[in-house]
Amino acid sequence: MEVNITRENNTITVRFSGRMDTPGAQEITPKMNALAEEANKTIILDCTDLSYISSSGLRIFLTLRKAALDKGGKIIVRNICDSIRSVFMMTGFLNLFEIQSAK
Amino acid sequence: MRARLMLVIVATITLEVTAIIQFVYAQREIKREASLRAKSELESAEHKIMDVVNQAEAAVRNSIWVAEWCLEYPDSLVRIPQRVVSENPVVVGSTMALVPGYSATYPLYAPYVARDLETDELRLLSLATDEYDYPSKEWFTKPIELNDSYWSEPYFDENGGDILMTTFSMPVKDKNGTIAAILTADISLDWLTEFIGKIKVYPNAFNIVISRSGQIMVCPVETLVMQTTVDQFASASEDHEALEQVNQALLSGQSGEMPVRYQGETNHVYFSPVERTGWSLSIVLPEKELYSGVRRIGMLVMILQLLGVAMLIVILRVVAKNQAKYQRLNEQKERMENELHIAREIQMAMIPKTFPPFPERKDLDLAASIIPAKEVGGDLYDFFIRDEKMFFCIGDVSGKGIPASLVMAVTRSLFRAMSAHEDSPAKIVASMNNTMSETNENNMFVTFFCAVLDLTTGRLRYCNAGHNPPMILTDAIRTLPVEPNLPLGILNGADFVEQEITFNYDDALLLFTDGLSEAENVSHEQFGEARIEAALHGRKSSEDHLKNIEQKVASFVGDADQSDDMTILFIHYLGHGNKKSYHLTLHNDIAQIALLPEFVETVADQAKLSLETTSNLNLALEEAVANVISYAYPEGTDGVVDIDACVTEHEVSFVITDSGKAFDPTAKEELDINAGVEERPIGGLGIHLVRTIMDTVSYERKEEQNILTITKTY
Repeated sequence: MEVNITRENNTITVRFSGRMDTPGAQEITPKMNALAEEANKTIILDCTDLSYISSSGLRIFLTLRKAALDKGGKIIVRNICDSIRSVFMMTGFLNLFEIQSAK
Repeated sequence: MRARLMLVIVATITLEVTAIIQFVYAQREIKREASLRAKSELESAEHKIMDVVNQAEAAVRNSIWVAEWCLEYPDSLVRIPQRVVSENPVVVGSTMALVPGYSATYPLYAPYVARDLETDELRLLSLATDEYDYPSKEWFTKPIELNDSYWSEPYFDENGGDILMTTFSMPVKDKNGTIAAILTADISLDWLTEFIGKIKVYPNAFNIVISRSGQIMVCPVETLVMQTTVDQFASASEDHEALEQVNQALLSGQSGEMPVRYQGETNHVYFSPVERTGWSLSIVLPEKELYSGVRRIGMLVMILQLLGVAMLIVILRVVAKNQAKYQRLNEQKERMENELHIAREIQMAMIPKTFPPFPERKDLDLAASIIPAKEVGGDLYDFFIRDEKMFFCIGDVSGKGIPASLVMAVTRSLFRAMSAHEDSPAKIVASMNNTMSETNENNMFVTFFCAVLDLTTGRLRYCNAGHNPPMILTDAIRTLPVEPNLPLGILNGADFVEQEITFNYDDALLLFTDGLSEAENVSHEQFGEARIEAALHGRKSSEDHLKNIEQKVASFVGDADQSDDMTILFIHYLGHGNKKSYHLTLHNDIAQIALLPEFVETVADQAKLSLETTSNLNLALEEAVANVISYAYPEGTDGVVDIDACVTEHEVSFVITDSGKAFDPTAKEELDINAGVEERPIGGLGIHLVRTIMDTVSYERKEEQNILTITKTY
């Protein structure tokens, strides 16, 4: 599980790659918690290379979403694959996040 | 025996006592009757005598005034007796005897006119002879002495021979009132003897007339007549006291009755005086005669009663004999029933009765039972394993009783024989049918279901010969489709169609006889297949299923009698069949979760699942396992999580087992996925995903283990 964070102006882009399963989510949790401090900005969660997400990963997404709500920032989820979309559907996350598809 | 004797004794005593009472009353009644009859006879005899007596008296009295008038003309005195005799037929003789010395002309004068009884001519005689000396005669002296009329003692007529006579005398007075003469009228007592002799109250009763001095005037024993007084007779007799008493009564002019013993016999004497004459009439009734009728009847009754008692004894003996016969029959019946039960037990011993029958086998859970009706019936079931195949059958022989149970034994033997080398149920059934119909002289038939279950592959071949179709329990409960083959024993050479299905892991089959489906309650409703199906719901062991059904039937039937055998065979297949199992053991380390995708992929490959379903299964399993790793074991301790996956045609299931502290993830509240960002809790997503992805999620805490089973069907 890899996380690549790039900053451009007021926008932070987080690129995930690999499987955000329980150990994967555990792995990136420190970085993601740090990112929550900047939730006043626009954070794009790029899932193009993310193949799998479990509830641990969903919790990270939800934590960021709650932080953005607190701090007035914005979370955008980009390019989720079908299996993750179905997980978002099952958990009601489709209603909680702004989802952007690839150009 | 004793009761019978008592009965006879009581009956006899009752009958005899009744007879005696009846006899006593009858005797008393008869005596009363006899007394009344005797009295009335006495009365009528007395009237008759009085009639004659009155005639004689009247003859004299009517001539008295003439006699008194004639006193002054002694020559005409002879005409007085003439007149008395000629004008009165009852009078046989009469005299007008002058008191000696009254007439100067005739110191003694007594012209006597007598009627010749044969010629009816009157003869004139004189009583004034020296030999006769009439002034000394009683008939002459008594009236003078009494200055009144007088009836003499009876006497034998000295002139006319043997005729018994009596004389009525009356004084004839002159103008001065002096007794001048005695006018008499003789009457013969022959009529009396004849008349009294005719009175027969009873054939052997007799009558006696005695005079005022006790002289016997009329009596059946002629030698006693005028020879003996009662007094003399009494003193010579054995019961003289009684006779004397009678005599006293008679002499004093009483009437009444008295028992007198004479020559060993008791006689009843009824007596009554005859007015004026001083006579006494007696009727003597021998008691023997009096009671002879009632004694005869009494004897007859007694004989009849004894006959009745004899008959009673005979009847009792016959009844007792029959009773003994019935008792023997009953004993016989009991013995037969006993033997039948033994036969039944032997039969029951033929069929497998030990459960579980194959304890070493994990792929089979089997239970069966026969609840026999009161009467022996012909239900059977059987099963055995040969070459990893289980052969089993259930059958119901038509009819009941010994024939049915014998056919049942034959059927079972044939099943064993035919299935020893044959794997096809249709062929087994066909051979059984041919053998049975060849020798079926009693037209008995057997409904029969025969099946062969390949325990390795789950292939179930079966052939139903007219039996009620079994129920199959897979994902649903339904009736196993069966071809309408004929029952066994009906048609030699009949065709039997074989059918086939495949059993998967956990599939089950319920076989039963109509004793179950047609079990009736008191209102004659049948248990029916719908109730059987309802009883089969829920996961249970075969034995529990069996018990449950039996309990349901019992409470349905209630107090109604079980009319038919009830046989149930429950087969629960736990073999592999098409099932594939996989196993993975993880340590309680989150990093181990990385091993799941490969495991899930292997399972999904077997199940030929889509990528999306595979991914979902992976997610569900990860969530379930992560939960265990995170919560079951305390930090720093080493624990294990076992995952057993199972793939069948219809489903894939994972059983996650750990030995950690009790933790039920299914107890968590359902997540509200429509809540807004602020309200959404961070936790609860994992179990929500498991629930959403899988079709069933069940948790069990067993033997210190958490067992979570999650299943996905497709």
